[in-house]
Amino acid sequence: MAEYPAHLVRAHRLYDGRIVTVRPIRSGDDVHEREFLNRLSGESRYLRFHKWVNAPSEKLVHFLTDVDYDKHMAFVCTAPDGDAEQVVGEARYVADPNGKNCEFGIIIADPWHKTGIAGLLMEALIRTARERGLATMEGVVLASNATMTRFARALGFEVQSVADDPTTRRIVKKL
Amino acid sequence: MLQRFPYRKDATGMRKIWLDSYPEGVPPEIDARAYPSLKDVLERSCLRFREKTAFTNMGVAVTYGELDRLSRDFGAYLQNGFGLRKADRVAIMLPNLLQYPVVLFGALRAGITVVNVNPLYTVNELEHQLADSGATAIVVLENFARTLQLALPHTRVRHVVTTQLGDLFPRRKRWLINFVVKHVKHMVPRWRIPGAKSFREALRQGKQSALEEVSLGPDDIAFLQYTGGTTGRAKGAILTHGNMVANVEQTAAWIGATLKEGEETMITALPLYHVFALTANLLVFLKLGGNDVLITNPRDIAGFVAELTKTRFTAITGVNTLFNALLDAEGFDQVGIAERGVLKLAIAGGMALQRPVAERWRQTMGIPLLEGYGLTEAAPSVCSNPFDAKEFSGKLGLPLPSTEVAIRDDGGNDVPLGETGEICVRGPQVMRGYWNAPDETATAFWPDGWLRTGDIGWMDQRGFVTFTDRRKDVIVVSGFKAYPTEIEDVAMLHPGVKDAGAVGVPDEHSGEVVALFVVRKDPGLTAEALLDHCAKHLTGYKRPKRIEFREHLPKTPIGKVLRRQLKAEATLSRG
Repeated sequence: MAEYPAHLVRAHRLYDGRIVTVRPIRSGDDVHEREFLNRLSGESRYLRFHKWVNAPSEKLVHFLTDVDYDKHMAFVCTAPDGDAEQVVGEARYVADPNGKNCEFGIIIADPWHKTGIAGLLMEALIRTARERGLATMEGVVLASNATMTRFARALGFEVQSVADDPTTRRIVKKL
Repeated sequence: MLQRFPYRKDATGMRKIWLDSYPEGVPPEIDARAYPSLKDVLERSCLRFREKTAFTNMGVAVTYGELDRLSRDFGAYLQNGFGLRKADRVAIMLPNLLQYPVVLFGALRAGITVVNVNPLYTVNELEHQLADSGATAIVVLENFARTLQLALPHTRVRHVVTTQLGDLFPRRKRWLINFVVKHVKHMVPRWRIPGAKSFREALRQGKQSALEEVSLGPDDIAFLQYTGGTTGRAKGAILTHGNMVANVEQTAAWIGATLKEGEETMITALPLYHVFALTANLLVFLKLGGNDVLITNPRDIAGFVAELTKTRFTAITGVNTLFNALLDAEGFDQVGIAERGVLKLAIAGGMALQRPVAERWRQTMGIPLLEGYGLTEAAPSVCSNPFDAKEFSGKLGLPLPSTEVAIRDDGGNDVPLGETGEICVRGPQVMRGYWNAPDETATAFWPDGWLRTGDIGWMDQRGFVTFTDRRKDVIVVSGFKAYPTEIEDVAMLHPGVKDAGAVGVPDEHSGEVVALFVVRKDPGLTAEALLDHCAKHLTGYKRPKRIEFREHLPKTPIGKVLRRQLKAEATLSRG
């Protein structure tokens, strides 16, 4: 099992004063991750997986939480929840076998939209991708997801149309 | 937040290049306020065409005078029997029958908002639509009362009117038809709804009281017209009296030159609960004083052709699927011969018209099939081909009078003429927004008020718009919208299903049909069992026509389903 990159853990204060932590995901996060996915609206899950997901399967949660911190890197954003913590957002990339390019994805819990945590997660993810020597980061966005294409543009991604698929856009950034 | 953007003449200074291509006699602008409300359209026609036939169904005719009286009685009952007031919602769950216009205008004259319901809806679909619209009353054909009974507990509906198929037919025909439907053909599943009122009783009681005059203006809501939603549930487009009057005027201005008031006979085979037939057939021909021939079951093609053989009609609307079925039907060539010189207008809407169908129609009937374009959110008509077109264009047509069409990129900027982008619309027919869905409303409009259709296309130098694709992964089956989300959601409710992906695949009859890819949890799950399950939760057009089992769905490294690849696989493996 890969060693946990504890040096990447950061605490942040949001514009509204709340404190959140952005940190690499742990395999022990499976319960948090499942709760997080279950709390998402159907729409948010659809935008992330491009299909309807009722309840995340064991296999999916395992895939999402058991990462090697190198070819597959994932950050979660957590907020205090009583004595425990809850996951309120996550971003990840999976690198191509050639190690040059990676695909990324991000999900934010519905009540945490527009709090700034998406930016914090992407900042951590892009920084790590650069350190790992990746050259480009790209993603697939539904064309109807204007919020995401706007956000991607603001982060310096180029939004490209996809040949013979007007329902999706490819977003690409040089790292 | 509701959005409303009053239409202004050329406020943008944009040149409307399509106006130069208008046929002679079509005005660039219409008076969107020609009538304050649909109530006024009805009352004016009832005065002017009193003795003329307004609707015909199975050989029984209702005159404008009778429509006036019957709808007044029914409206009075809604007010006095049920205590409904302006802006309350009443649902109508009827196929094309004489009762439909009576109930529709009864409700509209009483100031009540109408919620059209597909009578073939399943319990879940009906429950959602009734609950979402907040309808407190419903009028249902007895054949579908059992579905209603099961859906009722989770809705706000307190008043139910049931009607039998022959309720507005003369006595002997009524008895015969109602008896045959119930006891010979067994088309009425057992139902029990305590307190349900019969349609005929409602009319009788309504007659005893007066219809209270309600003042209605263009901003009052006429319809909550439901259309598929991206997140799986249907959403209600808010269509005001102003929207509807505008689209009636726009459509009438476009086709009016070919038609004579009080002399036309229209064939209405498309369901009136769908906005296309509602506006293009019922409302436009009501304004023109025409006779609307209601076809209750157009799937019975032999019966439909028999009806057409008996009737000399001057206009007809349909979708590609329907025209194709007619052209294939035995005896339809005889209809074509009889209609030479009689038929003036044939309009295709709802879905893309196929060239072979258009060409066969022209050969058989002697006039072209006019292709139009619209959507529920625009009441519905946006574009139409010119009525004097000599041949099939394969295009959506020109923007209607007082309608602006822009082609925009993802950022909301107009693209240069001839380039492809999203078709956006502005005009007095465009809805106010979606009922109880501020987020969906916000994403449906650009901040400057243009409606985003979700359709991709381009405009040529003459102003003709051509459709190329869709921005969202919606599946259009014979003009009805099905969203993959809803189908996948239903499929995954089945305990034997681990994963499911729905896509639209081309189909020569319906334009598109639903194909479902399934990853099984239970290796013994059969396609038949899954289809049965889908049939319990989904109306016919949303049900998968094909089910394919896979080990897994194609996904990107990060786990996004590749819909385009699914679609390609489904199309390749066809036949």
